[in-house]
Amino acid sequence: MLERIGEILRFREMIKSFVRKELRTRYKGSFLGFLWTFLNPLAQLSVYALIFPHIMRVREDNYAMFLFVALVPWGYFAGTLTGGCGVIIANSSLVDKVYFPREILPLAFSLSGLLNLCFVFMIVLPALVFFGRPLTGNVLWLPALLFIHAVLCTGISFIVSAVNVYFRDLEQIIGLAAMALYFMTPVMYPAGLLPEKIRAVLSFNPMFGLILSYRDVLFYGKPPDWPMLVYPAAASALIFVFGFCLFNKLQRKFTEIL
Amino acid sequence: MENAIELVNVSKKFRLYRDRPQTLKEAVVRWNRKEYKEFFALRNVSMKIKKGSTVGIIGKNGSGKSTLLKIINRTMYPDGGAVKVTGAVASLIELGAGFHPELSGRENIYINASIFGLTGKEIRERLPAVVDFAELAAFIDNPVRTYSSGMYARLGFAVAIHVDADILLIDEILGVGDMNFQEKCAAKIFELHRAGKTMIIVSHVMPAIGSLCDYAFWLERGELRAEGAPESVKRQYAMFMRQDAGKPAPENRAEENC
Repeated sequence: MLERIGEILRFREMIKSFVRKELRTRYKGSFLGFLWTFLNPLAQLSVYALIFPHIMRVREDNYAMFLFVALVPWGYFAGTLTGGCGVIIANSSLVDKVYFPREILPLAFSLSGLLNLCFVFMIVLPALVFFGRPLTGNVLWLPALLFIHAVLCTGISFIVSAVNVYFRDLEQIIGLAAMALYFMTPVMYPAGLLPEKIRAVLSFNPMFGLILSYRDVLFYGKPPDWPMLVYPAAASALIFVFGFCLFNKLQRKFTEIL
Repeated sequence: MENAIELVNVSKKFRLYRDRPQTLKEAVVRWNRKEYKEFFALRNVSMKIKKGSTVGIIGKNGSGKSTLLKIINRTMYPDGGAVKVTGAVASLIELGAGFHPELSGRENIYINASIFGLTGKEIRERLPAVVDFAELAAFIDNPVRTYSSGMYARLGFAVAIHVDADILLIDEILGVGDMNFQEKCAAKIFELHRAGKTMIIVSHVMPAIGSLCDYAFWLERGELRAEGAPESVKRQYAMFMRQDAGKPAPENRAEENC
């Protein structure tokens, strides 16, 4: 495994250029281009700020921000889960013809999602202040959360990108699973709403604790709940290692199948 | 003299599915049913290729030439035998694989070169030479989708030739660009040959093999039929082809690009 990691690091320029390509081509051809990375979440937040207090009258205090600080990191997770499926297939012309460590494709995909998330946080942080939620020193937890999150998402993109080469249905199944997971994670509701037993089951999902931690750190301005940080960290590391090994095994036949 | 490439009893087996199960459903429904034929794309092939030599591989379509190249450039894993390749491999087979149409020529050079494992510094140093060789100075900042197919191929060739690989794989003699550019390519290949690069030229036509190569192999249905001085291998191949012309084609011939 160490040898493999060394080989991947030797191609770091490729990782860089693929991340850059991913970020640059996402909005390429559109008039405002890269600005959309910021405009999109800004517009989304404006809609929430308008709808929830005035039209749907959600009782939760400052629901727009309550939702937004969870929805933004959720977007990274859901994006790698669903988008990660197609990474190898989309680059089949390369995989088929040129040697490079194949891990780079899902890795670069996940990292570009992470960078995108960081850009969106540049909107989230001022927005919190604007909506009367002053930032506290606990914001400093954010890099740690992002790190755990990135490990999780990279592991997941290893798994889904490799398996999808063999079973193209995965993309459809994952689309459904992502939606189900969305409702099983306290993104749009507080975790306290769940009955104790159900909560215990649902918190096996590492995103459960991560989302709560994001919200604690950003929205409530308090330090994350320890178990809600340690468990996701351990689970993410496990998923990463599992994904890495699975990918390594499955990639040997990519060229024949594509 | 050292060997650049050593193959010992390399075999590659393909499963020819009548209709490979592509989805989970099909895989479950057809559980345990064997709906494929196995055939050997390569069977017990052993070769030694000396460093700095130019070697020709001749054979009909479907004789395993492309599979052999894929095993040498590590896009495929053999099922049996050992492969030892010393040095970096670049193939002049799929020129421009992985170009992104929306990005400029310059950005694509950067991405393409990074796939070959070059560092950022190396790419920046070679960029002017690549642009110059491709004769695209005037268009290098335009998106690649605006290029003609000739320009596209020129750019691909220019990148591949400047990555400074130790071993070059050349499939069929290049039909890149117009006459002038082809001559330029041939001159460049001679120059690299003099610089001590190992080259493998694959072809099903004979003239290409004679003039450039100092050794030749003949592959037939995945097995090595002859090797030695190009002239003698060519003679045997020509004789075989004359006899073979009358017979019907073998039944389970592989696709050329397998």
